[in-house]
Amino acid sequence: MSFCLDTYLQQSDDYEILLSRAGFKDCAKIIKEKAEEIVYINAGEKILGVRIIGIPPIPVGINPKKGTVIISYTKPCHGTAAIEIPVEEEDIGAIKEVSIDD
Amino acid sequence: MKKALLLLGCPESPSQTPMAIYASSKLSQLDYEITIASTPAASKLLEVSDPNGYYVKDKIDIDSCLSTLEEKQYDLLLGFVSKDAAASYFVTFYHILQTESIALIFEKDPDVLEDLTKTVEENTEGKIVSVKAFHNPNPIKVRFDKILAELK
Repeated sequence: MSFCLDTYLQQSDDYEILLSRAGFKDCAKIIKEKAEEIVYINAGEKILGVRIIGIPPIPVGINPKKGTVIISYTKPCHGTAAIEIPVEEEDIGAIKEVSIDD
Repeated sequence: MKKALLLLGCPESPSQTPMAIYASSKLSQLDYEITIASTPAASKLLEVSDPNGYYVKDKIDIDSCLSTLEEKQYDLLLGFVSKDAAASYFVTFYHILQTESIALIFEKDPDVLEDLTKTVEENTEGKIVSVKAFHNPNPIKVRFDKILAELK
C-alpha cells in the first residue's frame, strides 16, 4: 500500500514538528536549514500521497542518513507546519522523480 | 455553461461568508455554474446564511477538491485570501488549474495585506482585488464589481 501522509499523521506519533502555525516562507526556510539535501517541487505536486500546497518552487528536505524527509504541510485555519517524517528509500526516490530545477 | 470555483479560506474574517454569497449571486447572473471549496467550518457558515441553497448550489471540501483537481477543470478560479495559508492555497490551485483567476485579498493590517498581495502578484498572473477590509465587506464588493466588469 502506498504511503498516505494525512492518514500517517493521524495514526502515528513518529514524526517531528519543526515549526507549526507559521507562514509558508518561514517553513521553507527551516526546511532548507534542517535538511542535508534539498529538492524542489511544483505547487500541487503529489508526494507521499498528498498534494503539497505552497509557493513554488517548494523545497522538500531529505535526510538520507536518518531516513526522513521534511515537508511543508498547510491547512487553511492552522497555517503551515514543517514536519519531519520517516520514509522508505523508495519514497525518497519518488520525490526526486517529480523534482524540478530551483 | 461556464464553471467557476470559489476557493474559501479560514472563515475567521467576517467578510468572507457574505462576499462568497455575493460573488455566487453575481457569477450566477453571468451564467457561471458555481462550486464552493471550503473547510467544514466555512461550509457551515454558508449553510446557515443560505438555508435554502438559493445562492450556494454546490459545495466541496477544500482538501477533497485539491486531491482531484485537474488542469482547466474550471473556467474561473475566485480565491478568498485573508491569511498566509489562503495565499498558498490560491497559488497552488492556480498552478494546477491554469485558468482565468481572481484573488480577493482582504486584511485589516496594511503590512499583512501588502505581503499577501505581493505573494499572489509574484506567483500568479491572476487578477487581483487587494483591499483593507475586515468587518465591512463593501470595499471588497465595490472592487470585485469592477473586476467582474472586465470579465464580461
